[in-house]
Amino acid sequence: MDTLLKPALHIEKKSRRGYHITFAVIAAMLALSPFIIEGTSLVQFLGKCMCYAIVGIALDLIWGYTGMLSLGHGLWFCLGGYAMAMFLKLDGTNGKITDFMQTGGLTELPWFWKPFGSFPLTLILVILIPALFAGIVGYFVFRSRIKGVYFSIITQALTWAVYSLFMANSKFTGGNNGITDIASIFGKTKGSANRTNLLIIFFITLAVLVLVYLLATFLTGRKFGKLLIAIRDGENRTYFSGYSVNSYKNFIYAMSAVLAAIAGALFVNFNGSITPTQMTISYSITMVIWVAVGGRGTIIGAVIGAFFINLCEYNFSSGILVEAWQFIIGAIFCLTILLFKGGIVGIVRDNIPELIRRIKNRKNKTAKEAA
Amino acid sequence: MSFVGIELNRPMEVRTGKALDIKSVSVEFDGFKALTDVTVGVKRNTIHFFIGPNGAGKTTLLDIICAKTKPTSGTVHFYPAEGYEILLTGMKEYEIVNAGVGRKFQVPSVFTEISVYENMVLSLSGNKRIFASIFRKTSAEENDLIADVLDKVGLTEHANKKAGSLSHGQKQWLEIGMQLAARPKIIMLDEPAAGMGKPETFKTGELLQRIKDICTVIVVEHDMEFVKQVADNVTVLHEGKVLIEGNIDDVLADETVQKVYLGRGGD
Repeated sequence: MDTLLKPALHIEKKSRRGYHITFAVIAAMLALSPFIIEGTSLVQFLGKCMCYAIVGIALDLIWGYTGMLSLGHGLWFCLGGYAMAMFLKLDGTNGKITDFMQTGGLTELPWFWKPFGSFPLTLILVILIPALFAGIVGYFVFRSRIKGVYFSIITQALTWAVYSLFMANSKFTGGNNGITDIASIFGKTKGSANRTNLLIIFFITLAVLVLVYLLATFLTGRKFGKLLIAIRDGENRTYFSGYSVNSYKNFIYAMSAVLAAIAGALFVNFNGSITPTQMTISYSITMVIWVAVGGRGTIIGAVIGAFFINLCEYNFSSGILVEAWQFIIGAIFCLTILLFKGGIVGIVRDNIPELIRRIKNRKNKTAKEAA
Repeated sequence: MSFVGIELNRPMEVRTGKALDIKSVSVEFDGFKALTDVTVGVKRNTIHFFIGPNGAGKTTLLDIICAKTKPTSGTVHFYPAEGYEILLTGMKEYEIVNAGVGRKFQVPSVFTEISVYENMVLSLSGNKRIFASIFRKTSAEENDLIADVLDKVGLTEHANKKAGSLSHGQKQWLEIGMQLAARPKIIMLDEPAAGMGKPETFKTGELLQRIKDICTVIVVEHDMEFVKQVADNVTVLHEGKVLIEGNIDDVLADETVQKVYLGRGGD
């Protein structure tokens, strides 16, 4: 039986090894970047990109692998972001009520803000709230066998609903402005005097990104991962192979929500604020674009896509391309969907081995001719 | 649920009695009666065919057994072993699979993006929970079983190919193999020979005869050559009702059958 198994593992190992090496290179470059880059704004930006990469991985698990397109992952990102921002805000005010609460006419801290005075409790809630929320939503959605475009619409509607809720209750949430003017867990990060603080949170985020990548590749490498693909390609058949498909979907959906929330919680440390903008549908769709452009169903593709699109945006969002950028990203997305379904990773994976073969052939030829 | 374990290579000792009992099942879709009062017993370790013209309700009957469709009235009982009885009606589809009733669909539906071997791994019986799928490794016995089944369906050399790259016939055999990997007590096949050439069809027939030693086989089929080759018992359905039931020669000799089915270009 061993002989039967080994070649399969070998082929898969080859492209998997390629993915791992690519990720290792990206991680190493990230680790070195703060020591090369002067100033703090680009380091801060790279920090945000790492958070985006985590969201990308979260989306890839449910979309690339399981075939469920969530158009509302901004919701989970924001639930984590707001939870952390609430802690950081209270940290800044020493547990007293905030400016927007005063403006809203509150005299006492609302009860649901109180747990966020404690750091360990905040960390637990960053994970627990999205896990429970997504778990409950998923339970009803998947039990009713809602899938495909209907699932996407529900995720959008849900995000829109929570967005409206946050906008309407400005005395509790800061409304349109969100929660602003906050430092990171380790104090202020802006300015060169606070560089050490920035570096600490930067490396913590990098460590989380590496852990999330390892978790995702571990899960997708197991029978569990094959099942996700099976659900994507033949949901009915998976039921008739004896699997409770809805439990699997619910599990991976909730896990994806939690990963997105962790990314959001890290994100506010770099961003210094969280606003409902990060919860909008267009923001959520941007996340989908990262994964599509990078390459679905590969994990590494989500990381590459998140960095690629955001670094492009960072460079183009000043100067003449400002106006055109939205059109460019739209065009990239359409091209990817129409022509390059595998995204950047797909293009490389499908063409590089062929290219190497050709180069080798040419070398052999010239060698023969020389002989 | 676990019952008396059946090893793949060990024929069942008990060859008498029913494996499946369909009792006065009726199905109505918006006033259309797809099945009316269908009662059929399927004997253990036989190859039982359901034949009939298009729209006779053959596939609907399989849908009822595996809970894809709920019957308007009637029940389906399953006897995994002598003395055990399970009421299938009302169970969820994956519970029925785990109880030992497998189903192969009309369109070959294998998981195209993963390898033949991985397709087999997903089809193994046993713990199907999330935790197990993450942490449990495929055991040596399970790998032996897979090797054995792949050998039976003639796909050993294709074990590492993506299932999507197999030919139509090979996909059909893989799907039968996936059913066998689950060690079912009953295996239901919806037109296993559809789209196959003569030699492939014949090979499929041989395969079915090999597997009836280890489980009961229920087949829905149009191809009369194929029915003649392998059927032990045949139930003819017509307009949602049982027309006749019996062994293949009796059924073929029946006048009504010839009129409603065979006369219409079945052969």
